[in-house]
Amino acid sequence: MSEDRGDKRPRPRGKRPRRKVCDFCVNKIEYIDYKDVNRLRRSINERGKILPRRMTGNCAKHQRQLGEAIKRARAIALLPYTVD
Amino acid sequence: MNKYEVVYIIDPAVEEEARKALIARFNDLIANNGGSVDKVEEWGKRRLAYAIDYKTEGYYVLVNFQAEADLPKELERNLQISDSVIRYQVIRLIERKVGIKPRAVRPAPAAPAVEAPAEAPVEAPAAEEPAAEAPVETPAAE
Repeated sequence: MSEDRGDKRPRPRGKRPRRKVCDFCVNKIEYIDYKDVNRLRRSINERGKILPRRMTGNCAKHQRQLGEAIKRARAIALLPYTVD
Repeated sequence: MNKYEVVYIIDPAVEEEARKALIARFNDLIANNGGSVDKVEEWGKRRLAYAIDYKTEGYYVLVNFQAEADLPKELERNLQISDSVIRYQVIRLIERKVGIKPRAVRPAPAAPAVEAPAEAPVEAPAAEEPAAEAPVETPAAE
């Protein structure tokens, strides 16, 4: 379906961004657990920052939950506040 | 009664016996104040993501419990007093989110409903088109 979408926004040639789908919706995760460090690690960059929605494609609901979970994990030293 | 979850980190230098006594003390504190301990999970010694008081390791303990709303405050006070506990966090579990209900209770159509608003803000101009296409496509498929 994404192929026949009209070019409403001008884009650089040869670059059509793929539509991102919320990973948590796909996997039907209702509650993002702050103890699930491996999953949370995928949502922070190498400096330990939370990745924005425009990069992950997460939906608003899950991005909120994710932010909360990462902050909780940081508080008990499961994830770093900063990496440097 | 609310459901809570507490994670605390014990100084790894604490002897095993003292550590066991400490864990038992916190569990008793919950039990003696009208709460009930559901689950105690000892993760053991783990590397900390950052140093706390120059310590790079800690002994993690996770406890799930049910209690009235005033107990977490008392528990936190005790965790704060104990010198062997280097970090703690008490969290209220929202039951809807914990997934006590089996997955089947929540019907599958709920998933697209969640996804739909996600697309709208990200690709606002494009979002209208697939919706317009949908009725056209369905007869063609049949």
